[in-house]
Amino acid sequence: MSRPGDWLARRNGNQRLALVALLLGAGALAIGDVDSGGRVTLDTRELAAIVEGELDHVTPEELADWIVAGRADYRLIDLRAADEFDRYRIPGAERVAIPDLLDAGLSRDERIVLYSEEGIHAAQAWMLLKAHRFPAVYILLGGLAGWQEHVLYPVEPVADAPIAERAAFARAAEIARHFGGGPRAATTAGAALAPALPTPEPPRIAAPVAPPAGARPAAKRKREGC
Amino acid sequence: MNLPLFKFGAFGDEASLLVAFLIGIGFGFFLEQAGFGSARKLTGQFYFQDMAVFRVMFTAIVTALLGLFYLGWAGVVDLSMVYVSNTYLVPQIVGGLLLGVGFTIGGYCPGTSVVALATGKLDALVFVAGIFLGILAIGMAWPGLEGFASSTDLGRLTLPEVLHLPFGAVVFLVVLMALGGFWGAGALERRFADRDPADRGEEPS
Repeated sequence: MSRPGDWLARRNGNQRLALVALLLGAGALAIGDVDSGGRVTLDTRELAAIVEGELDHVTPEELADWIVAGRADYRLIDLRAADEFDRYRIPGAERVAIPDLLDAGLSRDERIVLYSEEGIHAAQAWMLLKAHRFPAVYILLGGLAGWQEHVLYPVEPVADAPIAERAAFARAAEIARHFGGGPRAATTAGAALAPALPTPEPPRIAAPVAPPAGARPAAKRKREGC
Repeated sequence: MNLPLFKFGAFGDEASLLVAFLIGIGFGFFLEQAGFGSARKLTGQFYFQDMAVFRVMFTAIVTALLGLFYLGWAGVVDLSMVYVSNTYLVPQIVGGLLLGVGFTIGGYCPGTSVVALATGKLDALVFVAGIFLGILAIGMAWPGLEGFASSTDLGRLTLPEVLHLPFGAVVFLVVLMALGGFWGAGALERRFADRDPADRGEEPS
């Protein structure tokens, strides 16, 4: 005589909740795995919008500011060969070869900045990571060459440049010295456009460089949890 | 919208404090509603006289577990982006034992002591003062402790990886464990209801 409805009506609130949990748990057992690891999903329209809007760029100056400020909420990945990495690297960079990128312990909840010599490898690695649903991947604009050009060896503006430009340069020169570089004198009006200057050998990063006045000490990597 | 919001810069450090404040108020409210502002209720857990702590915690675990599983399955939440802290096996066992001993003696865990302080309990004031003294002591002893605290690092481990089971199977097992625990909790309460925590088992003379 007893119908399932009657049985359910005799249960109290807690028992009904337990039943719901049990049913949902059994459903989970039937579903099995949620994440199918190797699957690649690409939203090409979204990617195109990112590329078009240049939302995936970090300029060398921005990166330099992050390093000077001691920010630790990003990972800087150097994609070049080991010997190049040993010769010079941007402070804080870790070397990861492109084939090892997905096994390098990068996690999707991190902000990742990629750089290579000029930027092509970084762009390819960007696509690879985007395809694997890494949401916050950025490319250092201009690669290591851009870093050298704009951060390590900024070009002094011409004598009749506006005040704002000269003030910006004074700061750039201070940052350049922080990273072991130094300003370059403007030889011709077109110096910035034609980087025909002999590329100076970038300095090795030696013992910790004293941060410029006003810089916070390097922060520890952000810890989470309770 | 990219999650996690704070990590990807949706709001800054100052706004993050406001968000943390609001979440903290909510958390504290529900702890208080569950009765966790009372040291008597909390320590009742350790004498098997009041299993409310176990019930509330396991209800929260099962709710979050089922919620995350089904939201992940529906493609709403990317589970690979949910933060998983590293497993430091030995330091976490030692820390867990320390916390349990402190919980039993002091009557609170860190979160509930703040809840109890907010409702004006004096013992909670002493407990919270102890927390800050302890933080100071650990901070000063940190150079000597750091090596131990980061030892036996097993990385980001999850139960499905350790047990080599599908995520859904682990969900089902945890639900079964919780329901079994709820059933057992009632039995324990009935059995230990009359025992006086202060009684050390000696017969009255």
